[in-house]
Amino acid sequence: MAVVTPSQVSRKVHKPQRVGATYYAFLLPVLVLFSLAITLPAIMGIFYSFTNSVGFGDYYFIGVINYIALFSDPTILGAYGFTIGFSLVTVAVVNVAAFLLAIGLTSRIRGKVALRALYVLPMVVSGIVIAYVFNFLFSNSLPELASALGIAPLEKSLLANPDLAWVAIVIVTAWQAIPSTILIYIAGILAIPSDVYEAAALDGASGARQLWSITVPLTAGYILINVIIGFKNFLNSYDIIVGLTNGGPGTSTTSIAMSIFNGFTNGDYSYQMANATIFFFIAIAIALLQLRVTRGKASV
Amino acid sequence: MTSQISLAPPSTGGERTPVNGDSAHPRARTRGERFNWPVTIALLVCTLAVLIPLYVTLTMAFKTTAQAVDGNAFSLPAPFSVDGFVQAWTLTDFPRSFAISIGVSVISVVGTIILSAFAAFAISRNWNRRFFRWSFYYLLAAIFLPFPVLALSQVKLTGLLHLDNPIGVAILHITFQLGFSVLLFTAFLRSIPEELEESARLDGASTAQVFWQLIFPLLAPMSATVGIFAFLASWNDFVMPSLITSNPALQTLPVLQQIFQTQFSNNYNVSFASYLMAMAPAIIVYLFTQRWVMSGVTQGAIK
Amino acid sequence: MHPQRSTPLPALSRRSFLVGAGAIGAGLALAGCAAPGGAAGATEISFYVSKPEVIGYFDTLIAEFHKTQSTVRVIRDSTSNMSADFVRNRPPDLGCWNYNFSMVQFVERGALSDLSDISEADRINPDIKPLLAATADYPGRTSVIPYSLTAASVLYNRDLFEQYGVAVPTTWDELVRVCEVFLAAGISPFFNTYKDTWTVAQGLFDYTVGGMLDVSAFFTKLKTEGTAVDARSAVSFQKDFEEPMTRLGELAKYANSNAASRGYGDGNLAFAQGKAAMYLQGPWALNEFAKTNPAMKVGTFPLPVTNDPGDLKVRVNVDLALWIPEVSTKKDAARQFLSFLMQPEIQNKYNADNNAFGTTKDAPPTTNPALVGMQQYYDDAAFYLGASQLIPSGIPVANYAQSIALGSSPIPVLKQIDGDWARLALRS
Repeated sequence: MAVVTPSQVSRKVHKPQRVGATYYAFLLPVLVLFSLAITLPAIMGIFYSFTNSVGFGDYYFIGVINYIALFSDPTILGAYGFTIGFSLVTVAVVNVAAFLLAIGLTSRIRGKVALRALYVLPMVVSGIVIAYVFNFLFSNSLPELASALGIAPLEKSLLANPDLAWVAIVIVTAWQAIPSTILIYIAGILAIPSDVYEAAALDGASGARQLWSITVPLTAGYILINVIIGFKNFLNSYDIIVGLTNGGPGTSTTSIAMSIFNGFTNGDYSYQMANATIFFFIAIAIALLQLRVTRGKASV
Repeated sequence: MTSQISLAPPSTGGERTPVNGDSAHPRARTRGERFNWPVTIALLVCTLAVLIPLYVTLTMAFKTTAQAVDGNAFSLPAPFSVDGFVQAWTLTDFPRSFAISIGVSVISVVGTIILSAFAAFAISRNWNRRFFRWSFYYLLAAIFLPFPVLALSQVKLTGLLHLDNPIGVAILHITFQLGFSVLLFTAFLRSIPEELEESARLDGASTAQVFWQLIFPLLAPMSATVGIFAFLASWNDFVMPSLITSNPALQTLPVLQQIFQTQFSNNYNVSFASYLMAMAPAIIVYLFTQRWVMSGVTQGAIK
Repeated sequence: MHPQRSTPLPALSRRSFLVGAGAIGAGLALAGCAAPGGAAGATEISFYVSKPEVIGYFDTLIAEFHKTQSTVRVIRDSTSNMSADFVRNRPPDLGCWNYNFSMVQFVERGALSDLSDISEADRINPDIKPLLAATADYPGRTSVIPYSLTAASVLYNRDLFEQYGVAVPTTWDELVRVCEVFLAAGISPFFNTYKDTWTVAQGLFDYTVGGMLDVSAFFTKLKTEGTAVDARSAVSFQKDFEEPMTRLGELAKYANSNAASRGYGDGNLAFAQGKAAMYLQGPWALNEFAKTNPAMKVGTFPLPVTNDPGDLKVRVNVDLALWIPEVSTKKDAARQFLSFLMQPEIQNKYNADNNAFGTTKDAPPTTNPALVGMQQYYDDAAFYLGASQLIPSGIPVANYAQSIALGSSPIPVLKQIDGDWARLALRS
């Protein structure tokens, strides 16, 4: 879906002598809007990262000092560690769960339409709101339930445990991200011609064998898309974390996005803009890397 | 990709008319009409993960404050109370915040559909021109751009332009949807035979007429998909309105949920009533449009 | 604004859909334009107050103000993002906010206008000025007018203390004994609320530090160290805060077992229900207890952290200060409301009603029984500014305090604060 190669798009374009002005009129609003709302702010952010601005009032240039401070700041490095680790785990959890569910939802099941509708439903629920709901469950209901059942390790809230709070964030993020991932996998699985399976069945391949030798390779493009989009979204995680742990306990679940936004309210604007600039280049590098991998493999 | 999906033979006789256009059963090994019960049951059990948080939201919202504070989320409301809703209604100034949320979402949906259809049409029909091709990649780059990088400068700019209000939020929502939506539209436009366009031109139609009378109606299924995604992104967004909108009286629903975390932290029934009121519109819209969500996304993904 | 727009649109054709969308858009645009202007003739000012406990109180004051005159209309704002407001050059016309680390950037970058020429500035108690300067200062300006001063220490349940025959502790050893008595009786000695990190910073962290150290001397020295703060500098967090943080860890053992998942609201409720003997909160919580248990008898005492009763001090903070941004275009109207709020009968009543101390030379002493335990310390100037309030907000000290309360070893955390302090000095 996500990757359209030039050759595919250009296949039918005939050769008009001149491009109609209408085409420019169609494209320009988008380009102008995009440049004003995205490109310009990005450049401004980079500019301020070389100052000591708090976002308003007096400021002066301090060169690369923000960057120097950044690379020795354990809180920032911790945020990178947490965010990248959390994103990797969540991508894995979300894709494995969504892939299995998509296989289930495309197999010969009763109430297929209702089940699909239900599994996709969490997609429409706001992240911050569902995080508040889970916050209540983790802080109040689960500990009560655990102590009523006598399960001692669960009597303490998951959110209050510095070593495990990230698990709660993975759970809620996955809850919200699995539906759209399922949709794309359903599309991918349905696109596999059924005669491939029939041939495999004639050769006596087992269900597991078919899954591994047919379904997975033939949906590779979809897997890549889900991994790329998911990873990018998880790297930017903010509102679910705000609703669950607000970065705590301690600073154990502070994401990069969160430290950037916090810097803004905490008078650390330029410092966090340096952080944002680094984050920007890392995100671009990851995107390029993924595109490179994709170009080789995905023909979706 | 082929159009295998819609053309595949209806091998699963046990089903009624397929809603989602996927009558083809990819793993059709058995020819009978038997359902796979173990998988059905496993899937039913797993729906608990979806349903429990929603069930909790629903029951908590109808409890009294005294019952809600005991922390037992799974009990049924006793007595049944709508106090939570009454309070949440006034605290969030629900009619107004709801209207603003709807307004922002609608502008964002309409703007996203029209602007990205414009751009996708121009790009796909001029792919051999460097300017259009590079514009496409330029827009695409935004998909990978981390939002936090921009947010703070956007606060400054929207302030300068006096767009520190829901209109500004809607414009930014549109901008963030552009990359993905242009991508979907461009892919879809490839599937529209150019012969149609050529015959319209022979009849003397201008490019704009071709677009409005021919192309845009044909794009309808993809517009639905693009629109649904734009709606969800806009309706549920918390960060953008909280930063951009300066007048608190013009704030959207998700942002207002914050007040329950501090000011009314112990009135759990009120908080949950408010969560429910924030969730319900999107869920209702979804229930009515889920067949388009399904078919739109699955088709979009395949094209 | 336009609630009728919220009714669902009738069955949608594309055309009616677009028309409807346009109408909503236009409605929003009108609303957006109309909001800042307001009623004809009157100047509309925005007034920011976000202290959750007193939002309703200020609504009443605004209504009173509207009755006394008709040229200025006040719109209260409690939810705006303050930094975003300043960045976009549309801050509130009058701010009423806690004067602590969060104000530093606005004061020190000169974003607040000079108020030295208004008559209220002369009425301010001179003893309070050093407290203001210790937090943030812009040379040559009176950036804020302090409105309310709170003194915070341990809140205790008088009935429980009486019932178990324990006296108010004045030394650390006595405090530990008190805790043991309650523990043996199956009552939680302290109710702690680590889920809201500010409560850890305000209570456990500030009380243990302030009870052992000379806070202002420490920060004065620390500022001269600048980027050199580490194990070898004359003062540092890892050297000077280790002992208080060890005490913090010991006290945390006497807290309710679910402290980690409880927030401020839960704490107020539980303490008012008598579920713990002591609670580390300021007087702002007293009115919250009254909502649950109006008859509750609460007393206060400074947390003993050493075995010398002479070390006992209470934590003070400038709980509310008034300020007018430099970029406000309605300074005169804002000053008019400021003067209204500063009238002795209004300001003194606010402070009496909200268990706070006044900020003017002529402010009457407090008569609140719950605060009597602190009056003597306040009169003797045996008080300190909370350490957490003096650490710039770029350093997440509340989160660090939370992790120590949850059981982290103090030294690595304190080393991190030293490093944060040095990096902050480097870049600012």
